[in-house]
Amino acid sequence: MFDWKLILEAIGMIIYATFVGFIFMGIERKAMARIQRRIGPPIYQPIIDTLKLLGKKESVSHGFIYDFGPIFALGASITALLFLPIANFQLFSSNADLIVVAYLLEVPMLGIMLGAMSSGNPYSAVGVQRGLLTMVAMQLPYGLALIALIQYYGSFKLSDIVALQSLHGWSILVPALLIAMVVFDIVFQAMLGLEPFDIITAPAEISMGPMVEYGGKHAALLFTQHAVQLFAETAFFAILFLGGASNLLELLVKQIAVLFIAIFIASIYPRFTIDQAAKFFWKWPTILGIIAVLLTM
Amino acid sequence: MFVDWIVGHAIPLLLFIPAVSGVIAWLLDRDSFGELKDVFGLIGGLSPLVIIAITYGRLGDGIKWTVDTGVFKLFFHLGYMSWYLSAVAAVVAAAMAFGMVSTSRSGYEWMFALFSVSGLLGVFLSGDFAGFFLFWELMTFASFMMVLRYNKGASLKYFVLSIIGAYAMLLAIAILYAKTGTLEFQSLRGMIYNSIYGMVPLTKTDTILVYALFLLAFGVKAGTWPLHVWAPDAYSETNQSYTSFFSGALSKAGVYGFVLMFILLGIKLYVDMGTFHGHMVFTYILAWLGAITVVVAGFLAVLQEDLRKLLAYSSVSQVGYIVLALGIGSGIGFAGAFFHILSHAVFKGLFWLITAALILRTGKTKFEDFGGLAEKMPVTFAMALIAVLSLAGIPPMAGFASKWLIYEAAISAHMPLVAGAIFLGSGLAFAYVVRFLYSIWFGQRPSDLEDVEEAPLPLLIGMAILAIPNIVFGIAPGLAVKLINKFIPNSGVAANGYYSISTGVGTYNALSVTLILVVGLAIAGLIYIYGAKARKIPVTDTYQSGNPVTEDYNLSIRRNFYRPLAEALEFWLRYSFDRFYARLARMAEDFADSLREGFYNGNVQSYSWYLAIVLLILALWGVL
Repeated sequence: MFDWKLILEAIGMIIYATFVGFIFMGIERKAMARIQRRIGPPIYQPIIDTLKLLGKKESVSHGFIYDFGPIFALGASITALLFLPIANFQLFSSNADLIVVAYLLEVPMLGIMLGAMSSGNPYSAVGVQRGLLTMVAMQLPYGLALIALIQYYGSFKLSDIVALQSLHGWSILVPALLIAMVVFDIVFQAMLGLEPFDIITAPAEISMGPMVEYGGKHAALLFTQHAVQLFAETAFFAILFLGGASNLLELLVKQIAVLFIAIFIASIYPRFTIDQAAKFFWKWPTILGIIAVLLTM
Repeated sequence: MFVDWIVGHAIPLLLFIPAVSGVIAWLLDRDSFGELKDVFGLIGGLSPLVIIAITYGRLGDGIKWTVDTGVFKLFFHLGYMSWYLSAVAAVVAAAMAFGMVSTSRSGYEWMFALFSVSGLLGVFLSGDFAGFFLFWELMTFASFMMVLRYNKGASLKYFVLSIIGAYAMLLAIAILYAKTGTLEFQSLRGMIYNSIYGMVPLTKTDTILVYALFLLAFGVKAGTWPLHVWAPDAYSETNQSYTSFFSGALSKAGVYGFVLMFILLGIKLYVDMGTFHGHMVFTYILAWLGAITVVVAGFLAVLQEDLRKLLAYSSVSQVGYIVLALGIGSGIGFAGAFFHILSHAVFKGLFWLITAALILRTGKTKFEDFGGLAEKMPVTFAMALIAVLSLAGIPPMAGFASKWLIYEAAISAHMPLVAGAIFLGSGLAFAYVVRFLYSIWFGQRPSDLEDVEEAPLPLLIGMAILAIPNIVFGIAPGLAVKLINKFIPNSGVAANGYYSISTGVGTYNALSVTLILVVGLAIAGLIYIYGAKARKIPVTDTYQSGNPVTEDYNLSIRRNFYRPLAEALEFWLRYSFDRFYARLARMAEDFADSLREGFYNGNVQSYSWYLAIVLLILALWGVL
């Protein structure tokens, strides 16, 4: 009846992804510090932060949806993770294809926004507004990059895409898909919430935007969610463009490579305003995306 | 025995019970009869659902019914496709009937609401163009009368555009009749097939003309860009319970018209209009019209400041998805279109019933007047959440399954830019549903909304009728696909059991997504429970850069929420078809005025001059 091996794999994957996701967050902080000639926190710092938040004596709530938002976000991130074929673990990836996963990776955003809105805080509201406009803006190039990929491989199944890459070489070796990768990488910056597109949280501008009201265990949930999401998104990138991986170590190397590109871009660019971001996304990435799509027809 | 009788007479029962009970409800609109008109209204609204449910699985080769009116012979046919469409309409009609019990002001509204139910069912069931046009007009007239009751300007705009559409259709039907000599779909289809081999004198020019006229006729009803301008006014200026049927089901008549065009003229259009980069030209045009509608209406929905206007534009945008899916022209595209007909009907119907409840309880429609209602109307809020999740396309909901099919169809048919429009459209859908959520349900509550009550029971029942299919067809999309596969052979979409659908190049197992989401939520919930107990604080106790907050400050952003988007789009927003049509209408009015003043000028001499000119013309013609 139950496929115990699969369930064990899934549980193991959730634990592994959460841990590695936290380490990624630590790497992000450490690398940023090094770029600015600081020593920075130890690499396991986000884990300590999260445990501290979980250990708070009291947390406050603005009602049911306020609690439900972060829970929904984490739940959706875990779901997205389990539908990815991660290295040699297929998990549940045969049950859903690229479109489903691409959607699932966006659902956590709705959860966070749902909770943030119910707090009734004006900073949260501005954050929500910016978040949604970023999403509207990035959706077109994001879609075009995925369409180029699907058209080239002729399949929506992630496992097929990985298998075809292991036969014919990585996606980025194909010129059209290299362009798609560039587009995806620009969008990726916004997906991870890094500069120049960290418009949603914008710490110095709108005091963390949607997360402004969250503290205690709610914030711990959001940290965990961010860790899982970070792992899932970098893995998604590696699966689509870097040929997936045959084992977790290979995947980890690719994920860190992807992460470092994101960190390097993030640490030298200042933030866009939201209308600049919208205009930017509808200009160069969209044009590149259309070129990529036409080349793969 | 009784069941067999109903199955045998399904079509006349479907067509007449709503209309007749509507008339009775209108006649009973006296104080002395009390609530009796609502009873008849409910009978009329619920009967289609009951009859449709009874005929499930008993269709055989389709139920037929013929009436000889003397001039025309009307054919009706309840096949699998018309059953599916009628079932969608019947579900929405039942929900509307419950909503109307709470919100209808008079028997007048019952009568015309139920007339439009009959009209729509007639359109779906007609087997020939005579009946099709007759019921089409009934439907248009009834919906016009519903809007007229609330706003004359909006209703006239709707009426004029609908009439233009309807007479374009009449012209197209006339051309087809003149060339083929038949109105009946079956034989018309055969004739048009024969015309490819030159056996019927339907030329290429005729075909393209008929195509253009049909595009106009059905485009108006479906609200396709640039003919969508009536929709935002008409959908908002009427009884909102009725709008759940108007926007949820009635707009599908236009879509059905396009389907009919495919069935009757498809091959001929393909032969005459050829292909463009491997796509049939006539479907390609439809796909692009759909894509533009999705994007334009999506952007406009995001920028609205009125609840009803936002939902109206959203409705236009979502019907754009259906037109787009039809335009893809592949089996998966058709399956996606029919699935989206179902899911749009249920989630948009639900949205309008929620609007009806909000307007009934608060009397307000602008976003700036709402706020913090989630605590006051918890059940309605739960329904709103279901509608929002379904519209935004969150995986275990019907809205996702149908959109997923449309994505797969567009990308595998190699229409990348059209597929890009869907991606953009779904981002926009996220943005406008969040606007709806934020402004109405969350944040500070204005003091005049303190004594708002939960929606009345009939409205809640109506909402439940529509909320259940959203979840059921979301978790079991195979159910809908199985129904659709009965009338689209070789659709390319397979239902592996009830829970999983696949297109050959991709799969979506809704049950596994649901289960894993539940497990994920459980894990997150465990972390939540592990943390310290949360203390509940009011929304006014909040971070305001470290400043104290009192009730006097309105901290919720209710106006111009998406202002940066409006600024980014400034250039595009300068062009509006709304204003263009308004100008066109003014010009026509001015022209009529100048004609009146120029000819009927009251000067006897000029009338004698007219006489002289006519005589001169006749003389030149050689009559005199």
